[in-house]
Amino acid sequence: MALHNMTFTFPGGSAGSIPKPFSHTGVVGSGDLEALFTKADLKGGVEAQVTTPVRGYDAVWEKVLGRFVAESGLSDVKIHLNDNNATPFVVTLRLKQALAEAMERGEAS
Amino acid sequence: MTGWNDMQTRSFYESNARERARYLLDAGSFRELAGPEAQLSSPHLPVLDEAISFDDGVVAGLGKINGRPVFILSQEGRFIGGSVGEVGGAKMVGVFELALKMHEKAQVKYPNDESRWPAIVISFETGGVRLHEANAGLLAHAEVMELIQACRGKIPVLSLVGSKLGCFGGMGFVSVATDLTIVSELGRIGLTGPEVIEEVLGKREFDSADRGLIYRTTGGKHRYLMGSAAYLVEDSIAAFRDKVAAVLAEPYAKIAAKRAIGTPTLVEEQLELTALAAQLKPKDAYDIWAHFGNEKIAKSIPDLSTKEFLQQVKIRKGGGVS
Amino acid sequence: MTQRPKTLVGKGREAMLNIIDADSFIDGKIGDATLDTNLGPGALIGTATMSGETVTVITNDAKARNPRFPVVYAGIIGLEEAYKMAQAVYLTMEADKNLPKKRPLVLVIDSPGNAPGKVEEFFGMNLATGSYQLALAEARTAGHPIIAMIVGRAISGAFLCHGLQADRILALPQTLGTMIHVMPLSSIARITKRDVELLETLSQTNPVFASGAGFFYKLGGLEEIIEDPADMPKAIVRHIQEIYKLKSEGKWNELGPCSRGTLGTARGGRVARKKVLDLMQTQYAKLEEAFLA
Repeated sequence: MALHNMTFTFPGGSAGSIPKPFSHTGVVGSGDLEALFTKADLKGGVEAQVTTPVRGYDAVWEKVLGRFVAESGLSDVKIHLNDNNATPFVVTLRLKQALAEAMERGEAS
Repeated sequence: MTGWNDMQTRSFYESNARERARYLLDAGSFRELAGPEAQLSSPHLPVLDEAISFDDGVVAGLGKINGRPVFILSQEGRFIGGSVGEVGGAKMVGVFELALKMHEKAQVKYPNDESRWPAIVISFETGGVRLHEANAGLLAHAEVMELIQACRGKIPVLSLVGSKLGCFGGMGFVSVATDLTIVSELGRIGLTGPEVIEEVLGKREFDSADRGLIYRTTGGKHRYLMGSAAYLVEDSIAAFRDKVAAVLAEPYAKIAAKRAIGTPTLVEEQLELTALAAQLKPKDAYDIWAHFGNEKIAKSIPDLSTKEFLQQVKIRKGGGVS
Repeated sequence: MTQRPKTLVGKGREAMLNIIDADSFIDGKIGDATLDTNLGPGALIGTATMSGETVTVITNDAKARNPRFPVVYAGIIGLEEAYKMAQAVYLTMEADKNLPKKRPLVLVIDSPGNAPGKVEEFFGMNLATGSYQLALAEARTAGHPIIAMIVGRAISGAFLCHGLQADRILALPQTLGTMIHVMPLSSIARITKRDVELLETLSQTNPVFASGAGFFYKLGGLEEIIEDPADMPKAIVRHIQEIYKLKSEGKWNELGPCSRGTLGTARGGRVARKKVLDLMQTQYAKLEEAFLA
């Protein structure tokens, strides 16, 4: 028994990396998750790491994340997710919020 | 993305730990320490199959309030009940250590200007020790208590309680050991949670499902009336921020004069109250409120708005004799 | 034939009398002041000598019962008990305020918890336990050596209240019935919804939630385990001398709660704590100048 870790890699798009070194959003509450985006040299790709107590949904994660990466057009970003039983809908919502936050300029923190 | 000004009117109760930290401070001034990007999550949760968080449920950092340097700690109730583990506990310790360090330099650099010396603000939302790493959490509480004492005479330390889970367990005494506490009526402070009291005394004596009873026992209005919380404010980030700013504009001696505990005189005062407790044997907080001169409004106190309450209530002055 | 030592759980008074010089305990007396001995009967407090030197002793007496507060018995620390303990600490400071040498405080620990009552919550059990802890923290920095000697139960909030603010913490071993924990493993298992067998297995390699003196030792939660109760007096006196020396040398970071954090890392127990503190120091160093400008 231990937390379940998954790593997925995706081909990146043409939108480039995020402007800040990192961006974070969300809270690991029950049925929710946090997302951390970090800038990383991944030769144009995107890597996603998921840590969750829930098992058996690897394919769903890959699909949800793959769709998000494709739609966002991001490249050279590492996505880290700490999940606590979020539904795919919540995951997608948080990813979009994290992206909006990551693209925001100005305030350093 | 919502701006700083918009966030000021937001409910403190509903805000998460990072929002509270960021928006209590001056716009754009918040700098997080050991933040999520450092990914210092608990090393003890994965083996127990328990979800982790990159900040371990504690936001630590520094910023400014009306220009004054302020270290901030903010606990996240949604992550394992805001419980204190090894990492989150260490962040609390770290903030105190750094504030003491900054204080030493600030008082040399600005010997006559307290407004440039650091302060510490803690936004509590916790049930105390995290059972998954109970021993480390317990030991961290003791360290924080040592450091609160170490700050005395130097650094104003303020407790804010107005979040969903309140402030219980060991953090119940940590919060009251600071220079003063600011609560909203939704804030709850205590040591033993309602379920445990029910288990000990039985449901007839204490029904942990009775929300009204819980608020009358541990809620912001009661704590303010009894004098263990110095200020009662409305439930918004701005209300908390404005009160913090007003307090931090005072000289340290005046802030410390609001202490609930920590001097021989205050021990004597509390002992008088303890004698009153034995004599009064209150069945409900109503009995205590009435004793302190609120006979006519006692029953309606829970329904009063914060503003009405502040206008009408008689708070305890001095010891047990009203 | 040597007799095997017996457990001292529930026998705080007896343990205390075995620790101090024979017949030296004066109940309720500290310096010129007298405590109300009717108050908080579960907190047995007074002046005694150890190796001829005056000390204040603060003991849980599990055999006492508080007639005014029904949830206070069996060593539970209630409102009266905690405030009486705080009073004793301030009186100890007062007694030595003009003396260069500050007398030690010896805390004899055997408490299962803080009073979990309704009246206690109305009036604020958090204030009571907090008062005593702040008093101890103040006395420690004023130069009084504070030793906590765990002879029985040192449990959760009671241990925080009475024990964890000490300069040094000593404990009798688990084989003599001492209990040091937040909750027994069975309760942790119930609340975290994990098998108790799993927790038992995990606690063999990680001391972070398991119950017992050995685990707290590994985490830096206590300085020394005293195997034989007969050795308590001389161990306590030895630690008192060390504390005097360290304080006179200004080595405050080798005493008290935060020093035990460092000790925990050194013993391989609390490794993450140091990582967090180190990172915060590094990040702060880059910000300090701007915040002091």
